[in-house]
Amino acid sequence: VSGAFLRGRDLEPSSLELSVDAVVVGTGAGGSIALRELARAGLDVVAFEEGALLTSRDFDQREDHMFEQLYQDGGGRATHDMAIRVLQGRGVGGSTVHNTNLCKRPADALLELWARQYGVEGAGPNDLRPAFEAIERDLSVSEIEPAMRNANNDVLRAGCEALGWQGGPLKHNRVGCTQSGFCELGCTYDAKQNALKVVLPQAVQAGARIYSDVEIVSIAHDGQRAAGVRGIVRGADGKPRGSVEVRARVVVLAASAVGSAALARRSGLPDPHGRLGRGLRLHPGGIVAARFDREIVGWRGIPQSYECTELLSHEPGSDKRVWIVPAFAHPIGAAATIPGFGAGHMAAMRSYKNLAVLTAMVHDETSGEVTVGPDDRPVIRYSMLESDRRQLALGLVACARLLLAAGARHVTIPAIPPVHVSSASELEALDVSALRPHSVPLTAVHPMGTMAMGEDPKVSVVRSTGEHHQVRGLFVADGSLFPTSLGGPPQIGIYGFALHLSPRMVERARAG
Amino acid sequence: MPVRETSVSRRRLIQGALAGVLLVGGALAVTFRTRDYAAATGRRLLVLAGWQWVVLRHAASRITAPDATAGATAASADDLDVAGFVDGWLSRMDTRVARDFGRFLAYLEQIAPLGCGLLSRFSQLGPAEQDRVLASLESSRSELLRAGFEGLKALVFMGYYRHPRTWSVLAYDGPFVGRPEGGWR
Repeated sequence: VSGAFLRGRDLEPSSLELSVDAVVVGTGAGGSIALRELARAGLDVVAFEEGALLTSRDFDQREDHMFEQLYQDGGGRATHDMAIRVLQGRGVGGSTVHNTNLCKRPADALLELWARQYGVEGAGPNDLRPAFEAIERDLSVSEIEPAMRNANNDVLRAGCEALGWQGGPLKHNRVGCTQSGFCELGCTYDAKQNALKVVLPQAVQAGARIYSDVEIVSIAHDGQRAAGVRGIVRGADGKPRGSVEVRARVVVLAASAVGSAALARRSGLPDPHGRLGRGLRLHPGGIVAARFDREIVGWRGIPQSYECTELLSHEPGSDKRVWIVPAFAHPIGAAATIPGFGAGHMAAMRSYKNLAVLTAMVHDETSGEVTVGPDDRPVIRYSMLESDRRQLALGLVACARLLLAAGARHVTIPAIPPVHVSSASELEALDVSALRPHSVPLTAVHPMGTMAMGEDPKVSVVRSTGEHHQVRGLFVADGSLFPTSLGGPPQIGIYGFALHLSPRMVERARAG
Repeated sequence: MPVRETSVSRRRLIQGALAGVLLVGGALAVTFRTRDYAAATGRRLLVLAGWQWVVLRHAASRITAPDATAGATAASADDLDVAGFVDGWLSRMDTRVARDFGRFLAYLEQIAPLGCGLLSRFSQLGPAEQDRVLASLESSRSELLRAGFEGLKALVFMGYYRHPRTWSVLAYDGPFVGRPEGGWR
């Protein structure tokens, strides 16, 4: 079988019936690795992606064009109560196409916690190290050099140093970066060493076929064994133009913690302990903006190259669960976040080139849920715990403190009503109880945990091997696996776990 | 028990009369508060109804109102066809998005002004009154209404700040891809 990228919108005939060894749903970090490893094992394997196949030539650096193509619901996906915007990728390569390329391994303390408290076996720091090292080689991971740090990131560094807070450079997976600053809209220059650029071509070279524009709507199973998937082929206009039916011994779910859980729920998988879709973590984050006298020009350069970890601990029960990184947006994103409208808003937008923006992301304990609505679409329920709400407030105030320490003239927390401060003493007097969901606009880019792994079926959905507790041959290979929040960027964790678990998938596909 | 029967009958009569008045009043209110939209549209819309188009144009005009520095030189929402952009955007999204957006516009047009003590519908108010109504939604106690306002604002600003003519206000030099020799204007 020869590998290929195939566009569902161009398929003739427009419907497919296939019989393969394994099928992968989703082509982001986890799906790409599972696909590649299955193909490299000599198995006949196909992957399906709901979104389009785009390449660097399609990434035109325009927010109004790319959001629609690269993000679920055009970037408008949100929790059921509209409190948190959930930005998730769609298209071949998944979220690795639009992410900001941050590469951090899951903390050892977390992996140990998962073993100790969640019954995850064979996934300790030493077990995962080879997988993480291999992924980092594949993706050419390196530390971002100080010379590549833009002014917005340098504000964070300056703030950390002024306050004596813990911070440092981040690692990334870019090669040949031109520092254009349009990472969240796809890389025009092919500098991102992501699933689309690196892993999926390797999978195709090994014989895998990748179909874009195909939405998988159900998993075929008899309650004990996976048998394949069924889906809809969509045209360029998004309208159905055909159907897909695939018979396979192994089905790998890698459609994100939202997509995989929704698909599993729609398919009526056995769920004797009611765990499917539960345990959702989001890393909800709010931003703080500051005006400087000098120009920052935050839209130019690598968006995130420095982190503040002063308030971040991965130890269980810690009261420090906030990760702070820069978060500058292009004009449309910035305009939507700056409080107010009309003349006052335009006056604030005039400061755009002088703005620095940080985000406080909560390493959350809240357990949300993914369900399916009457129209079969995913519904994300997430009601933030008070302990997480306090962490959010702590983080937003910390961002303000960092910005002031770095020399900001004026700091704004875009709450309702907006909080404006110009000195640290004003921060001390701030009533932080108002800094909560629905008052502060929140965004989440890291859904996790809806099909958690572990050996105890009462608290997990899949085994430590990634295989479903009840349905043989059904695997999960995305952020759904994680029993808790990661407290950092998840892509290395997802790539790494998919690689770590792939021998089990291969074994099952061969054994039948 | 005849007295009781008479009493019930009177009550029913009064209730019936009240219901009739409400029905006729409601019909008149609907008639008066929803007329004159179709003629104002003047273009073929993809998703929005004529009245939604009118309300959106009014809202977009206030949301993107220029500051004193820009004054009359700033591009208006109508200049940049913000409402047309939103109509096109919604046509490519899931139908639920357009449905929810339409419901919010209905609230903005018919109900929200009443909450500010204004009897006219939103699209017939003056700019200052429209700003009052929008501000009331932005700071509403209802989480749903605040979210609705944020959604409206996000779509309007997407339609507005997507345009290179607005970028000079921000000193934003725009994408490298397709950049004209003299820069974006």
